[in-house]
Amino acid sequence: MAQAARLAAALAAALLLTAAPAGAAPEPDRRWQQLSAEQREILAPLEAEWDRLEPVQRVKWIGVAKRYPKMTPVGQKRVQSNMKKWAKLTPAQRKQARENYRRISKVPPEKRGDLRQQWDEYQSLPPPKKPAPAK
Amino acid sequence: MNESQFALRVRQALNQGLHLDARVAARLRAAREQALAHQRLEAAAGLALASNALGRLGGARGLSLRVLLPLLVLAVAFATTYAWQQQQRAAELEELDAQLLSSDLPIDAYLDQGFAAWLKRRASQQP
Repeated sequence: MAQAARLAAALAAALLLTAAPAGAAPEPDRRWQQLSAEQREILAPLEAEWDRLEPVQRVKWIGVAKRYPKMTPVGQKRVQSNMKKWAKLTPAQRKQARENYRRISKVPPEKRGDLRQQWDEYQSLPPPKKPAPAK
Repeated sequence: MNESQFALRVRQALNQGLHLDARVAARLRAAREQALAHQRLEAAAGLALASNALGRLGGARGLSLRVLLPLLVLAVAFATTYAWQQQQRAAELEELDAQLLSSDLPIDAYLDQGFAAWLKRRASQQP
C-alpha cells in the first residue's frame, strides 16, 4: 500500500508538472456581468448575445479584448464594427473566412497592393467576369 | 556390503524391534520435539512472509488498485492533453480572429467565395 501511495504521489507530481505550463495561457470563461468594466466596453457590441455564446467563443473574445489595447486606433475601430457581424456567422462561415484570410495574407504585400482598393475593384466587376467560386 | 545385503540387515533389525533404554529414548524424544518446534517456526515465518508479500501486491483490493491507478493516470493524462490542445486551438483562433477583425478588409471580403482566388491570380500576373 505504501508503495502504491508513493507511486500515486510521484505520478500526481509528474502530472502537475506537465499541466503547469498550460495553466498560464487561458482566460477564464465569464458571464457578461462578471467581465471587468474595460472588457465590457470593448466587447459592448456583443452584449446582447454574450451569455448565449459558446464558452470557447467567450474565452476567445476575452482574449481578443486583451489584445485590443495594443491595436492601432484604426484596428480598434475595425474590430468594433466587425465584432457583431462576426459573432453572428455560422461556424462554417467563420472557418471559410479564416481560410480566405490565410490565403490573402500569403499573397506578398507588394503584389497584392491596397487590399481595400482591390476589394472595391472586385466588387465593381460585372458578374460574368467574377471567377467561379473556389471549390 | 551391497545394497540388497544392507536392506536385509535393516529388515532383520526392524523385525527384531528396537530395545532402547529409557534415557536414550528420552533424549531422542527431546531431540525430535526440538526439531519439530524448529520446523514449525520456520513454516510460520515463511507463511507470514508469503502473506505479507501478497498483501503488498494487495490481494483483491490492491490488485484492483494496481490496475485502476495506471488507468486513472492514463485518463488524467489524456484529459490534460486534450484540454491543452483545446487551449492551443483557442489561442490560435484568438490571434487569427484578432488579426482578421482588425484588418483593412470587411468581413464580406473574406466570406466571398471568389475574391481570394481573384486576388491571388491578379498578384501572380504582376511583373
